[in-house]
Amino acid sequence: MILLERLAEVVAELLADDERRVLLGEDVRDGGMLGLSRVAASDERFASRLLGAPLCPATGLAHAAGLALGGALPIVLLPSVGALLEGLAGLREAALLHWRLDVPVPLLVVAPCGPGFGLGGDVVDDPEATLARIPFLRVLALGSVAEGPALLRAAAAPGELATVLLLPRRLCLAEFDAAHEDASLTHAVGAAVTVRDGTRATVFTWGECVELCREAIERSDLDVALVNLEGLAPLPHDRLLELAQATGKLVIVHSGPRDHGLGAELAARFGDEAVLHLDAPILRVTGRPGPYLPEHESDALPELASILAAIHRVVHD
Amino acid sequence: MESTPWDPEGVTVALDPRGRLAIGHSAPGLDLKVLYRALVAGRCLDLRASRANVVHWTSAAGEEAALMAPALVARTGDWIFPGLRDAAVALARGMEYDVIAAALRGGRGFGDANLRLGPSTDALGMPLPIAAGLAHAQKLREPGDITFVLFGEGLTTTGVFHETTMHAVHADLPLVFVCRSQLWPFGAPAEAGQVGDSVSERATSCGMWVRRVDGADPIGVYNAVAAAAQRAREGKGPSLVEVVVTRLREDTPAHRDPIERLRLHLDATGVWTQHFHETVETEILRHLDEAFAAEVPS
Repeated sequence: MILLERLAEVVAELLADDERRVLLGEDVRDGGMLGLSRVAASDERFASRLLGAPLCPATGLAHAAGLALGGALPIVLLPSVGALLEGLAGLREAALLHWRLDVPVPLLVVAPCGPGFGLGGDVVDDPEATLARIPFLRVLALGSVAEGPALLRAAAAPGELATVLLLPRRLCLAEFDAAHEDASLTHAVGAAVTVRDGTRATVFTWGECVELCREAIERSDLDVALVNLEGLAPLPHDRLLELAQATGKLVIVHSGPRDHGLGAELAARFGDEAVLHLDAPILRVTGRPGPYLPEHESDALPELASILAAIHRVVHD
Repeated sequence: MESTPWDPEGVTVALDPRGRLAIGHSAPGLDLKVLYRALVAGRCLDLRASRANVVHWTSAAGEEAALMAPALVARTGDWIFPGLRDAAVALARGMEYDVIAAALRGGRGFGDANLRLGPSTDALGMPLPIAAGLAHAQKLREPGDITFVLFGEGLTTTGVFHETTMHAVHADLPLVFVCRSQLWPFGAPAEAGQVGDSVSERATSCGMWVRRVDGADPIGVYNAVAAAAQRAREGKGPSLVEVVVTRLREDTPAHRDPIERLRLHLDATGVWTQHFHETVETEILRHLDEAFAAEVPS
């Protein structure tokens, strides 16, 4: 079983748990573009709550916001983050409903991102920085296969803010071991998670880069801490500062282009507020600038060797 | 009375330009004094806002029937999504005068979840799909409740309009689109996005139930909106009422004013008196003057 298959079971469980939940998306009644509604579609009980809709991203996201305003708990299953970029006007309005009407907007949008399907183009993009600056939008990124089901459930719990959950395609396709599934999150959803402790330096990352960074740290043979941000907006600033100050040597790793990325925001914040604790320049390791050809879509990811080199540099230079 | 270039074609008329009910038309279940009062309130608010130098304010004088009919038809459980300039709807929905004055001068707009008034937005056309989503929730969770969304014909050139109408028809949503079409007696400019067709023809082409009425005929507008609402409540799906409006800030004939037309009717039937009109107007103006005076920065 791969993670996507397990997540399809969780989607059906979520529908069974609360009758206010509805699924929106292209082909949701046939399992959805990603297969995330496949289990739900096979269950007669949920037929009236699978709302098939053409792929009109802005209109569809605003429609989902209206459903949330009307007391439903919509989960939008998108084929790709590309649809979020096309639907920005609707996504912004969905998020801003909370501000305009002072009401909760219990809307969850699930979108796969990054390389993995060999598609190339916009759909490989990692648009965290674009999404993170939409006011009143919560942006979460899955960084661990084992946590996938628990994070999906936590993200779908009715909350104040409209939420986007980014699912890196490489993690979606990874083999899922049910024996090692995390039953629930051991941390508050969106809180920066310390994946491993360390004293010599701290690597901040999220999404599919968490595993890459873990491997780089293991290869470095250095006592380096690894932090999975998970919550990209709003950023858990106080917690991040505390973690940055603990070692004073920081590497920020993310996929997608380096310029104007979320890493720049983190580095600037650490420079502003933790400068007296810093013992080295803050290093960033990222993917190459897009657009990405299908045959070279892994250019969107940072290279393991570059992460390893940055860890050595920040520790030893 | 002869037709002028200001009289729209292809509309159903209930109250004719002389204020007479057309044969076969009536106003069932409608208190005409309540309608008159609502129209006058909308006009007074419009004039007061125009005088208050509200940023981006454009007078909606002449469009009152299209604004007030949905507010009068709507029940407590229904939602109304007004446009950016449609403060009169908030007034009819029960929003306090001082809250309206404050919203006109700044703040977050007229949206109010308790009054079931949808928010105004910066993004062109976005209230349409939000309203459709809300109607979808009503269909799933509160059958019998419905949603109204108010907008102008300029929006019908956008993709959002066509995507929303298509989705509303497919999903049989309890949604009433109320579109105000400006009358162009001497031809529409490119900005109007019309090429000889009308908004109602566009909506008809996607299978929607449509009525085209004259905004100067408040009883016709009310009846069309009430019929559309009834269909929605009965689970018969979405509809679009196109109201052809005349902006009175242009030099228009008197019979294009919905208040004057209703006044003629009420006068002929012995309901309207100068005293009644002055009582209505004085009360509304007093509230408005207090509300706007309180809001003037010191």
